[in-house]
Amino acid sequence: MGYVDVSGIRHTLPDGRVLLDDVSFRVGEGARAALIGENGAGKTTLLRIIAGDLAPEAGAVARTGGLGVMRQFIGSVRDDTTVQRFLVDLSPPAVREAWEAVERAELVLMETDDERTQMAYAHALAHWGDVGGYEAEVTWDTVTVAALGLPYERCKYRELSTLSGGEQKRLALEGLLRGPDEVLLLDEPDNYLDVPGKRWLEERLLETRKTVLFVSHDRELLSRVADRVVTVEGGSAWVHGGGFVSYHEARSARHERLAELRRRWDEEHQRLIDLVRTMQQQAANSPDMANRYHAMQTRLAKFEAIGPPPDRPPEQKVAMRLRGGRTGVRAVIAEQLELTGLMKPFDAEVWYGDRVGVLGANGAGKSHFLRLLAGQDVRHTGDCRLGARVVPGFFAQTHAHPEWQERTPVDLLWHGEPGRPGVDRGRAMAALRRYGLAGQGDQLFRSLSGGQQARFQILLLELSGATLLLLDEPTDNLDVLSAEALEEALTAFDGTVLAVTHDRWFARSFDRFLVFGADGRVYESVEPVFDETRVQRAR
Amino acid sequence: MALAALPTITDPSVCSAMSRLSQEFPHVGLRSISIVVCTCREELRGSPEGALPELVERLARHRLQAAAA
Repeated sequence: MGYVDVSGIRHTLPDGRVLLDDVSFRVGEGARAALIGENGAGKTTLLRIIAGDLAPEAGAVARTGGLGVMRQFIGSVRDDTTVQRFLVDLSPPAVREAWEAVERAELVLMETDDERTQMAYAHALAHWGDVGGYEAEVTWDTVTVAALGLPYERCKYRELSTLSGGEQKRLALEGLLRGPDEVLLLDEPDNYLDVPGKRWLEERLLETRKTVLFVSHDRELLSRVADRVVTVEGGSAWVHGGGFVSYHEARSARHERLAELRRRWDEEHQRLIDLVRTMQQQAANSPDMANRYHAMQTRLAKFEAIGPPPDRPPEQKVAMRLRGGRTGVRAVIAEQLELTGLMKPFDAEVWYGDRVGVLGANGAGKSHFLRLLAGQDVRHTGDCRLGARVVPGFFAQTHAHPEWQERTPVDLLWHGEPGRPGVDRGRAMAALRRYGLAGQGDQLFRSLSGGQQARFQILLLELSGATLLLLDEPTDNLDVLSAEALEEALTAFDGTVLAVTHDRWFARSFDRFLVFGADGRVYESVEPVFDETRVQRAR
Repeated sequence: MALAALPTITDPSVCSAMSRLSQEFPHVGLRSISIVVCTCREELRGSPEGALPELVERLARHRLQAAAA
């Protein structure tokens, strides 16, 4: 069994800002700890420091039991990495090095077939055997069969880019969970997984005896799996020893406690300053008081040298004001609607004020349905109409706006677009501040994090005066706090909401569900349905 | 004087190398090939079992070719 012990870690960004200071916590043997925090708080940096990719400016990381790391980019690998290379990279360093040595020896052997080279090759193979390379290959076979349904020998030269994001994640997770490393660092292991995939991940993490530290924004996963929560905020980290269910309460209590400690320190500080001043005056009149005055000065200096307790971390202030407005009673009417080649014809009515979750299999046409409602050109038959005064506002997945990539949020707000008037810099900055984006006003859109891009898009919806919100996976890149702010904003929104989502926690806030089945059938459900399998099409 | 009988070889890596190399080098006596192959097998004794047939045959072939040149 392994553990991770982080003590006194400090990390400064290239621009001089201190990202992490005096970060200390321990993830004990067999623990399943979640690492959470706002976008940009330093979670991935902290994981990189624990993994040994980054050297901390101060402090140390102690760990035992071998460390397996799943990085955030897994799921979006688009280069020529093969399945074999990928599994080697997930292996312990000794196996990795032995594999590299065999590869090198094989290459040399192709060029020079002399005795020395052959002996070097034999030596590399012997070393490969000694470090457990052959056993690793047996494990890899189990892993590829479990993740891809193919034996290792048949898929080892397959490029990772030919696998879906979910398959890449699953391959990595199977490799790490079945591998020898006792401590696993998982950076967003649930990204790219559909709901059955997430459920599988939850079960595997619950049954593993390894020590796991994982970053996730999925509240359902957090509440089911994490037995403690490490929060990175305000440049430091603290640990809540319970699960995610009691986390919010613990966080509020901690913030109040910190604020109280700070208030008491400030009061004591002020009292000492006042005493020093009083004694200074008394010492001027009476030499007997000089000694007491100097003693009090020393006491104040010592008090200040110890410094104040950590300040209460600034609250993420995301104030979304999605107003909406009264529309006709029937907001959306679909009659015998069929998106060509995607589904069977269906009828649906959505009423003013409804909160409708659009669920179903990947590839079943959910996003196309939202785009059609948003007025985009989507091939279809049948009829689809919006009710009186219904103004659609569309939130697309982040990659859907190539034209924004080289522009800044302030520029996008200033120019406006049809249906959304432009606003001057002052108003733009005020709006950005409400969404926690004041510092990103002049940054290029492409350089914003996924969560910041998502928040900016919600701001555009607010400014467009939409009365029908069409949201395509809105919580996908939002941190836990921003997702909760969005939920609050939607509750206050006066209008109709249709949202495609795989977020089980978010889906609970909806009244009814439109399910796009894998068989092409579209049906209504009062309960969320996440079991629809992926649509199979000839590729 | 009667020549001593060849020792019985059961090691599969040696057997496979012997049978192929004796066809490849018909002008070299079976005894010489056997000595070369067994020496190679001995020198490669730390290698993984699965890789031995290839390693032994490759090294023995190299030595026989070097001797013939």
